[in-house]
Amino acid sequence: MAIKLEISEEKEVYRSSYFPEYVRPKIYDPGLDETIKRLTPEKIEKAYQAVFGKETARIKAIVETCIHCGLCAEACQWYLSNDRDPTYAPVAKVKMTAWELMKRKGKVDAGLVYDIARIVFTECNICHRCSLYCPFGLDITFIIGLVRRFCFLLGVVPQRMFDQNQTFMATANQVWMSQSDYIDTLFWREEEGMYELKNLRIPMDKEGVEVVWFPLAAEPKTGPYHIDRIAKIFQVAGVDWTMVTMNDYWDSSNMPMFIRDFFTMQRIVKGLYENAARLRAKKLVLTE
Amino acid sequence: MGFLESVALYNFLRGPMVWITFIIFIVGSIYRIYTLINLAKKEKVVLPFINIKAAIKSWLHWLIPFASRNWRLKPYFTTFTFLFHTGIVFVPIFLYAHNALWYESWGISWWTLSETVADVWSIFVIIGCLFFIGRRIFDPTVRFVTSYSDFVFVFICLFTFLTGFLAHYQWILPYRAMLNLHIMFGEIMLIAIPLTRLTHMYYFFFTRAWMASQTAIWKIKDW
Repeated sequence: MAIKLEISEEKEVYRSSYFPEYVRPKIYDPGLDETIKRLTPEKIEKAYQAVFGKETARIKAIVETCIHCGLCAEACQWYLSNDRDPTYAPVAKVKMTAWELMKRKGKVDAGLVYDIARIVFTECNICHRCSLYCPFGLDITFIIGLVRRFCFLLGVVPQRMFDQNQTFMATANQVWMSQSDYIDTLFWREEEGMYELKNLRIPMDKEGVEVVWFPLAAEPKTGPYHIDRIAKIFQVAGVDWTMVTMNDYWDSSNMPMFIRDFFTMQRIVKGLYENAARLRAKKLVLTE
Repeated sequence: MGFLESVALYNFLRGPMVWITFIIFIVGSIYRIYTLINLAKKEKVVLPFINIKAAIKSWLHWLIPFASRNWRLKPYFTTFTFLFHTGIVFVPIFLYAHNALWYESWGISWWTLSETVADVWSIFVIIGCLFFIGRRIFDPTVRFVTSYSDFVFVFICLFTFLTGFLAHYQWILPYRAMLNLHIMFGEIMLIAIPLTRLTHMYYFFFTRAWMASQTAIWKIKDW
């Protein structure tokens, strides 16, 4: 008896009920799939009113100027790397998210919120290239950011991004690194670097310096060799520099910005600037 | 056909309707610009960051054909969009027949285009309209974001120029019927400018100024 093998090459697909063209592989993300179950029409409308309710010049100018020419598409890496799929074009993303919300005045169901969250969080990097290609210079990413804010207010955010945000709330950096860990890492890297460069110093909390360097939290955590490399460069270049260890605000990767958690985002930026001001530093250098 | 050809319709379109059109067009435009600037004043981050020097650079780069990267990437689109937009602004202003109307009514006139230039330019505007319509139908990216209003805008411009051109040569319809249609579409177009997304005529300068100011802070070019 021959065994009939059935191998299905096709993956399960997700098809939006609002936009038939929007077809994507099916994924499971608790941050999206579980949170949309908690939504009610009132909550959605409240969040919509909080973000789009007040008429502002920037939203008005963007919505009333866009003539749907599709020239922004050429700028988008998502569009170019997905065989020019129309649903990845920046203007299409705005159409499927902000315009749809505005057209329905926020009276939408959870299914659309899922689509919207998936589009703005997982298919746009907020890189601003589309604005540079738009004949009107419309700030498309500003609209995407507003929609992210709308999703954040509803709690519909991919789990990893939300988790990172909570890490920032708790520790002001991305990787759960404590202050003592951080100081310890810097001493360790100073010691390691000394074998290669004589008298290498990693100055900490030095006042009146020219440059204060804020690393990404991933550098002391997973790529510690970056620290002594940068230190060597600073030392050889003769730059008067320092790193901040006096409190927790030293991580420049402001992840709350990406989900538009304004409160945490503000705390981080304020912390960094206050530290620099306390040391009377002239310049801030951040790791990109 | 009788109504379209009638002198009564012509008199209405050339009399009170012209006044209504120009009042809506001018007052509406001023109102739109005024409200936008007023709204911008209420936002803390817009007006203090406007950088006029960067804005002027940005305007020039996007108002000159092939002066920005995206214009160079799309040569056909750029050619047609510039012929279309310059045509739609300058041909009506500098057309001999329109000048004659101004002269008849108010005794004023100015420099005019020669008939050949005006004809060729009008044909380019019509071809541009057809190109835009074709793009909206056949380019999947553009088709996905196109709404009915986008077609309506293009068709208003198309019919205005087409009827004007045909009226001049007195083809297809009787002269007066075509002329009435031409005046009607022209007036619809002028009224539509402040009321619809055709306001991009003015908003171009505001949105570009804002983006140029932002990119000037990031020390990059937006063209």
